[in-house]
Amino acid sequence: MNIFTSIFIASEAAGPPETHSWIWPERAEIVYGCTASILIFVALIKFGGPVIKKGLSARTEKIQKDLDSGKNDKASAQAEATSIRAALGDIAAERTRILAEADAQATALLTEGRARITAEMAGLEQKAEADIAAAAARSGDELRAEIAQLAGVATERVVSSSLDASTQQALIENFISNVGAAR
Amino acid sequence: MSDARIDGYARAMYEIAQAEGVVNEVEKELYTLARAIESNEQLRNALTDESLPVERRQTVVEQLLGGKASTVTTQLVSFIVGSGRGRELPAIADKLSKRASSESHREVAEVRSSVALTPEQQQRLSDALTKATGKQVNLKIIIDPLVLGGLVATVGDTVIDGTVRTRLDQLKSRL
Repeated sequence: MNIFTSIFIASEAAGPPETHSWIWPERAEIVYGCTASILIFVALIKFGGPVIKKGLSARTEKIQKDLDSGKNDKASAQAEATSIRAALGDIAAERTRILAEADAQATALLTEGRARITAEMAGLEQKAEADIAAAAARSGDELRAEIAQLAGVATERVVSSSLDASTQQALIENFISNVGAAR
Repeated sequence: MSDARIDGYARAMYEIAQAEGVVNEVEKELYTLARAIESNEQLRNALTDESLPVERRQTVVEQLLGGKASTVTTQLVSFIVGSGRGRELPAIADKLSKRASSESHREVAEVRSSVALTPEQQQRLSDALTKATGKQVNLKIIIDPLVLGGLVATVGDTVIDGTVRTRLDQLKSRL
């Protein structure tokens, strides 16, 4: 049996201590306890208060800083959002402008192409008409020449066949008469 | 051949004809032969082809003119052809004709007709041309079927054209 076992057995053998009230401790215990508590509180207030206050201030400052930072971040985000929205607006305007410009260029190209094709067609039509007219004139001239030649040949044959002796004599007599009457 | 040489031949032939007293006859026959040579390529070749012997060409002349032309004309033409001047015979005949006309103070009047003219028509035509040109004319009638009908007379630089051929040509031009 060791010493602790011996003490426990001795105490159990002596029975539990008794106080004067079952609620209130002894007066000395109250005094010493209150004094000790006050001293502890004073010490806490004196030595722990500034630290706590400082910690609270730092925490408040940190929270304020976080709030300010959040505010700034929000403002930045809002600015960024505005910028993005503006950029989006610019992109839409640029898209509209590019589309309008492309439409205008396409319209101009179409108009120019139509004008050029119309002019070329007019030129071709004019040239074709001139060629047709020239061909018609050429054909007409050739036809007239052919008709004239055939008419000449036919006339010569008809005249030759109609020149009998009496006609020949009449022509000679007519010539002599005309020459004689010339002066 | 040069004009001087043609003129020389014409003058010599004229003087021979004059010496023989047959100028008009020779001139007329030569003129007729000249026109025949001009219009007949075969005859022209026969008289001018130098590849043929001279005797052959002279035989052609004698066969052609014998009995149809005077002896002087035949000999003169034979001489020209024998000299190798057959190609110039028309020009020599023209010169001779002009010379003969000039000697008799007349102008050669070349008349082309498709049919022959009677002596009476020739006389009246000669008178008419004399009246029209104011010159005595030495009428030369050439039968030319190409004129078709009517007459064309050339007196010096004057041309009086009344042929059917010319009328037809004018009609063709107008057509």
